[in-house]
Amino acid sequence: MTLDRSDKEALMRTFEAFASNRDPALRDQLIEAHLGLAEYLARRFANRGEPLDDLVQVASLGLVKAVERFDPERGLEFTTFATPTIVGELKRHFRDKGWAVRVPRRVQELHLRVTRVIDDLATEFGRSPTVQEIAHRAGTTEDEVVEAIDAGSAYRSASLDAGRSDDDESPGLLGQLGEVDPELARAERRAALGPLISGLPEREQVMLYLRFYEGMTQSEIAKRLGISQMHVSRLLSRSLQQLRELAETPD
Amino acid sequence: MTDVDGEEVRLTMPATPQLLRVARLTAAGLAGRLGFSVDEIEDVKIAVDELCFALVGSKGRPGSLTLTYRLGNHALIIDGEGVFTSVVGESPAPSELSAQILAAVVDEHEFTRDGNTMRFRLVKRRLVA
Repeated sequence: MTLDRSDKEALMRTFEAFASNRDPALRDQLIEAHLGLAEYLARRFANRGEPLDDLVQVASLGLVKAVERFDPERGLEFTTFATPTIVGELKRHFRDKGWAVRVPRRVQELHLRVTRVIDDLATEFGRSPTVQEIAHRAGTTEDEVVEAIDAGSAYRSASLDAGRSDDDESPGLLGQLGEVDPELARAERRAALGPLISGLPEREQVMLYLRFYEGMTQSEIAKRLGISQMHVSRLLSRSLQQLRELAETPD
Repeated sequence: MTDVDGEEVRLTMPATPQLLRVARLTAAGLAGRLGFSVDEIEDVKIAVDELCFALVGSKGRPGSLTLTYRLGNHALIIDGEGVFTSVVGESPAPSELSAQILAAVVDEHEFTRDGNTMRFRLVKRRLVA
């Protein structure tokens, strides 16, 4: 994006005008003038498993925020001010999408496909499927299935408060777990699993309880909570990791 | 399924938690080879994580961790041995909660310590329908 001096001055005047009158027409003009910056930054996040169009949208949203917050009085160049805002928006997008940025797209897609196949087969067979069965149905190799299953650990959508990654409209696990909770008296859970787990969010305690005290399998928990077995796997391993960290920290 | 009875795989790695993924992935691969279900594989991964973590701690320990995976008749046996130059602090045996978790996911598990050497063993049997 190269602007000559007179363009820059014109833009600066527009920013000043917008700062005083907040005219939406001026705002749109400023956003349009900087779309190139948004696209440039979006491209730097390409090839990480998200379509470029989506990234440009996300970056543009960051740009809108930057334009609205920019204060020309402070003497900063707009691009200097906007870049961290736009990059922050892109990073948040990846975080909310759940994937740690480094997972290759091929593995992500495989992971999603295998997740679906596991749940389909579990329903069909009424038991947890084997790697062989999954590979056969998914049309892939057993090694790839093992890799895809493990890719779950690189998936970071582990927050119970976050919406489900495969469906942004859903209310998140918190809502889904709500129905189960009354059955599980807190005191009983604590007695069963020890005081350490009180350091975890209550909803994660429920999952640990179902798995390790009630002896439900991951597939059973998945079915009961209406989420995928892979998701249960991720949440459990995250909880266990937190527990280990808590156990190590002397308090 | 090919006959895998008696196969043995051994891994030696620095005792750092960052490498436990390799231990887990190997366990998952071998469990898959034995025809374990996804749930059973998840169980093995949880157990490997718990026991290896007890060996290496959250920050790692100076020394190495060796894992020996044995494929038996419908069973996966994993022996872990951590040989360290020093072990600072409390005995790192698995906590009571950890023991409860292990009991829920594998058929047998034990953890022993002899000075600066720590060992564990876990056995996971496949449910044969």
